[in-house]
Amino acid sequence: MEFTLILTIIVLLVGFYMAWNIGANDVSNAMGTSVGSGALTLKRAVIIAAVFEFSGAYFLGSSVSSTMQSELIDVTRFAADPDTLIFGMCGALLGTGIWLQIASYFGLPVSTTHAIVGAIVGFGALTLGITGVEWGMIGSIASSWILSPIMSGFISYLIFSILQRNILFALNPAHATKRLIPILLFFVFGTFALSMIFNGIGRFNVNFTLPQALLLSTVIGALAFAVGLLVVRRIKIPKTSLETPSRLIPFKLISLEKAIKHLRRVRTGSIDETHNKITELLEQMHNIKRDMRQKTRFSKRTTEYDLVEKAFASMQIISACFVALAHGANDVANAIAPVAAVIDTIQNGVSASAAAVPSWLLAFGGVGIIVGLATWGWRVIMTIGRKITELTPTRGFSAEFGAALTILLASKLGLPISTTHCLVGAVLGVGLARGIRALNLRTLKDIALSWVITLPASALMSVICYFILKSILV
Amino acid sequence: MMTIARLFGKSPFAPLQSHMKKVSLCVEKLTKIFDSLEENEKLQRLVTDLSQLEHEADLTKNDIRNQLPKSIFMPIDRSHFLEILALQDSIADVSEDIGLTLSLRPLVNYELFAKDLQAFVKKCIEVFWDTKRIIEEIDELLESSFGGIEAEKVKTMVEETAYKEHKAQKEKLKLLKKLYNEGESLSSAAFYHWLRVIEEIGILAQVSEKLANRIRMVLETK
Repeated sequence: MEFTLILTIIVLLVGFYMAWNIGANDVSNAMGTSVGSGALTLKRAVIIAAVFEFSGAYFLGSSVSSTMQSELIDVTRFAADPDTLIFGMCGALLGTGIWLQIASYFGLPVSTTHAIVGAIVGFGALTLGITGVEWGMIGSIASSWILSPIMSGFISYLIFSILQRNILFALNPAHATKRLIPILLFFVFGTFALSMIFNGIGRFNVNFTLPQALLLSTVIGALAFAVGLLVVRRIKIPKTSLETPSRLIPFKLISLEKAIKHLRRVRTGSIDETHNKITELLEQMHNIKRDMRQKTRFSKRTTEYDLVEKAFASMQIISACFVALAHGANDVANAIAPVAAVIDTIQNGVSASAAAVPSWLLAFGGVGIIVGLATWGWRVIMTIGRKITELTPTRGFSAEFGAALTILLASKLGLPISTTHCLVGAVLGVGLARGIRALNLRTLKDIALSWVITLPASALMSVICYFILKSILV
Repeated sequence: MMTIARLFGKSPFAPLQSHMKKVSLCVEKLTKIFDSLEENEKLQRLVTDLSQLEHEADLTKNDIRNQLPKSIFMPIDRSHFLEILALQDSIADVSEDIGLTLSLRPLVNYELFAKDLQAFVKKCIEVFWDTKRIIEEIDELLESSFGGIEAEKVKTMVEETAYKEHKAQKEKLKLLKKLYNEGESLSSAAFYHWLRVIEEIGILAQVSEKLANRIRMVLETK
């Protein structure tokens, strides 16, 4: 009895350390961008992160945890020898913790998720042989590691392109923002609601059919749309932008330029009289255009971008909340899945069906994340926030939206993915849409490196820890 | 664990603007040189200063090129950026050339051409200041991803710059005509010296206008 008590304490301690580590290092991904763009102050970012990380971990964290706990390796084969599973999971946790410590000492870019998956697979392959590993599940997890950054990059690219075409490239950005924000809110809340309620909501025992889920998320989106309309009505557009006399508004000039372009096209395909007439017309139009251009004041209107940025600072707060929520849901599993496996095995022995992750354990992981955030994470958020000046609120919003949606979807499907890589993919997506001044493509190499190094290294560490534990305690 | 922070490379646009500032110092020196054409000693000193400034601009240019590794991804085409930088630097080169040509020997019969020359110089340097203003707009252009109302504004500015360059060339023609009319009374060395000075000043306006038009090429206007 004493022996299991010691193991429980060890595994809880290491699990807490892992949760602390996630809070200290990875939460900054969710909040660093918002602090960097000035949408949130550090204090508010930390409070928001704490609330949403915990909610994500507690309410939505169970599916990834149960995947990690019982679907990576064939746990039923430990039925005769539950001690091996207990030692193995302890070893995996310890090994991951040690490997993360070594990696951060050498400044290697590693992902907690990859490390823990590698560790569990490592001890599984050792004790059960190659056949004991659920290669199908590993395959889908590995493909999700490739697909998730691509998907988040694609979504972010799309969102930022839409914002570009409809707001940044508009001749009246402030009006365009007012028009677009309620629609954006509809989609943001709609898609998040949908990705949250399909497949059942985490801890709550409610299940919706697809039409029901669609209807519900549409209703939620519509609510957000209505609130957005009310808020937007309050935004006052500074008067300077309305000063230009109506006959000289810039887009009339643009229309004229388009007309000239089309006329030119007609001219190239025409001959004789038509050709001459069009040439005459073109000349006249050129004169009108020149006069108009001289009278049009483009310079006055460029201040409108300030208003756009201000509006999107609020949008970015919303997307940052979703990132924190999704991050909590996905990453809490890294810390508590092995703990859950050990405790479950100690209490009930090995069972074929995946036991539900106890809710107190999810809360325990959530608390660990918050403690990590409060003791160390805020410092990392501050450092990253200072370094990132490239992400203005429009760009930050696009990147966070893409990342959050991808992470949330993966969490719902029970796939442990790296939130850092999703965010990197999203930022690259915004950069591809001509959004960011300079991106360091070497980071892509870092990511590839993190794959190659982390999996075997943490697998090896976990095996070593397994043998040490076994020799000490048995 | 700072993967996200490491993702952001060092932006080359702020250094581009500070390079422009150095180039503008060269042009400012050049203005002073034209103000003191009749005091040879002061002129020589100013030309030495100008050479020094041009060298500093060169160093900045090389710095920018060095800190722009292949693994950096930017919102405008890499080759476009380098072209803009090269053109900007050639403005400093041209200023130095003008200064050096002026320091070779005093301009013969300066009083005769003084008024036209100064008017021409003023027009050319104005073209440069216009171009500098366009480079200063790059911050705003980045904000709007090189499109929309800000791009329209820059487009207007470029058109104005081109118009000013055209006016400067007219001024050059006037000056050249006068030079050829007086050609008989000048020694061939003096004539050629004058010709070279005028040509080089004209190039200053041309390069400035070319730079302005390069910026226009990266705009996303419909």
